[in-house]
Amino acid sequence: MSGIHHFVPVLHRGDAVGRHTLRLREATRARGFRSEIFVDTVDDDTAGETLPVLSYPESAQPSDVVVYQFATASAMAPWLAGRSETLVLNYHNVTPPELMAPWDNHLALGQLRAQGDLRLLGPRTALAVADSRYNEAHLAASGFTTTAVISPSAALPVASATTAPPRAGSRPHGARWLAIGRVSPNKGLESTIAALAVARAHGDPAATLLLVGKPATDSYDAALHRYVAELGLAAAVQFAGHASDATVATAYAGADVLVVTSEHEGFCVPVVEAMGAGLPVVAFDQGAVPEVLGGAGVLVPDKDPYALAAAIAALLRDTPRRDAVIEAGRRRLAALALDSAADRFVDLLVPLAAPAPATP
Amino acid sequence: MSAGLPPTGAADQSGELGEDENLSPADRARAAEALHDAFTRLAPQGSDAWNFLAAFTHLGDRYGPYHPGASALSDALSTRRSDGRRTGPLDRLRPRRDRAGRSPDGEKTDLEEAMGHVVEAFRFLSARVETLESRLAAQDRPVDGAAWLVPARDLGALAGPVAAHMWALTPGGVIVHADCGEGDLLRALHECGAEAHGVEPRGAVALRAIERGCAVTIAEASEDVTSRPDGSVGGVVLSGVVDRLPLHALVPLLAQSRRVLRRGAPLVVISEPAAAAAARDAAARDLVDGVPLQEATWALLLERAGFVEVAPLPDRTGQDGRSALSAVAPS
Repeated sequence: MSGIHHFVPVLHRGDAVGRHTLRLREATRARGFRSEIFVDTVDDDTAGETLPVLSYPESAQPSDVVVYQFATASAMAPWLAGRSETLVLNYHNVTPPELMAPWDNHLALGQLRAQGDLRLLGPRTALAVADSRYNEAHLAASGFTTTAVISPSAALPVASATTAPPRAGSRPHGARWLAIGRVSPNKGLESTIAALAVARAHGDPAATLLLVGKPATDSYDAALHRYVAELGLAAAVQFAGHASDATVATAYAGADVLVVTSEHEGFCVPVVEAMGAGLPVVAFDQGAVPEVLGGAGVLVPDKDPYALAAAIAALLRDTPRRDAVIEAGRRRLAALALDSAADRFVDLLVPLAAPAPATP
Repeated sequence: MSAGLPPTGAADQSGELGEDENLSPADRARAAEALHDAFTRLAPQGSDAWNFLAAFTHLGDRYGPYHPGASALSDALSTRRSDGRRTGPLDRLRPRRDRAGRSPDGEKTDLEEAMGHVVEAFRFLSARVETLESRLAAQDRPVDGAAWLVPARDLGALAGPVAAHMWALTPGGVIVHADCGEGDLLRALHECGAEAHGVEPRGAVALRAIERGCAVTIAEASEDVTSRPDGSVGGVVLSGVVDRLPLHALVPLLAQSRRVLRRGAPLVVISEPAAAAAARDAAARDLVDGVPLQEATWALLLERAGFVEVAPLPDRTGQDGRSALSAVAPS
């Protein structure tokens, strides 16, 4: 019997790719296929969910479909490229190395390798699935010819707005800005911090920013801390670091606005999480963020901290508009149909796994 | 997929921040650029550790061994290679080498390949050394990260006399004010007709100066002065910075100021009275080594840095107790 197996360099339960991979496996098994998650590096927290990649050849069938979750460089790429099973790539984007290079040569080198991996896999891949049109364009540019787009099934279930404390309107405090995601150079968090400095200097002196996410590299994290100090924001900006799902949900519930100033995003899961939490999103018009927002948020067309601060202030001052944005976000989230994303993904895999009909 | 959604996407481009704000688009643009530059300057372009790690990672297996044991596939590849067997798909990426000499298919030998890697690593490292050296030279390490804690005074009543002095002596070119605060002197210089540029490490203070129309870089004085070409500056005013830098950082700052000044261009040092050191708040005192110096010490330092005509500012007001010494780069 054919199997549809999932390959990921390492399975982290807390990150978007990890959650997505677990859901894909469950959806695949629900269709009656053998389905396992194979990893190159075993994470103790998910060891019970995974098998070592080198054990795969023992159970491999020629008719198997192997689905590779691609977000980083890994020895899995050339290893899978050298195998004969039907290969499907699920592309979560590679950050351009030039965004990492000023901060961390090692990270930049990893991104260069990932780009090389992508080109290596192109000719070997039967189907490449991107989680946004933006990422699909990257695939096309890397030589992939058969592609599809399905949103990731990875959004975190967060507290609904009805259970959250009251926001905006008659705020007794300053605006509570929230930024969620890895503290990585491509996230452009310095733009959020700069805009906060502007906001505090112009009309909202008590505005605060909560940054939730694990640092990708010490140098960028240290620079952000110093920048915060130089701008006199030490008391206004909190670096929360890596947080549990529950803490993240609390952060969404306690914020007035999600601010996204990424230079490069392949999807941006926090945007849809904010929609689910009833939190308005104000973002730079960059990467896949406009596509994911689908009009259900506020886009700032250039990377100007004054424009960003003004956009946030205007949104939070105008309660009817803010409510309209939140409602649009809910509709957008429904339209993305993330709950069924894993099933739709498997719909694409089944024809690749099924044996070809016998010819008379 | 997004059908039926309301057109909420575009931000209001009027950009009104507060009810009483009337910033010109040009001032906003300059302030935004200054904020951007202030962060960009903090990029390390790779520390020593990262550069070495990257270089030697490049020498190893394509995916390691910077995380030894983390990749089962990389480990398996290493084991197979030591056996001399060609067993896995990863091995296709490597040339076959059955002996020390040239391989049967004309590919590089082990030795040639290893030497190529070594050369590549040295090229990589040497390319970094110059960057690292210049970065280290520009760092005023003792105060790195603490300047914004020091409550430096604006020039206030001193701004007018100092501006007049600088304008009278400058041979032309931009006049740089280090620790410019909210830009009192910059505006006074501008009123005289001079081109003035401020340097201010306290970002929030710098932002106010920029929004008032001043040209200001958010940085340490040493960063700005070091980046300027020889003989390119028409005058330098050092205030604030001279009260918080330790002596061993002041000496190179004076030397750099001397280097960038045009012949005959003036330099003015404005310092707090020595008694002001005791009035600093605790955080600043803990983190900053600088102690206001006696006027005679300043005179000595300026002469040692190559300045001439060292003297108290002729029109110094003295109302607030600050000392103002003038010097000139030799013609």
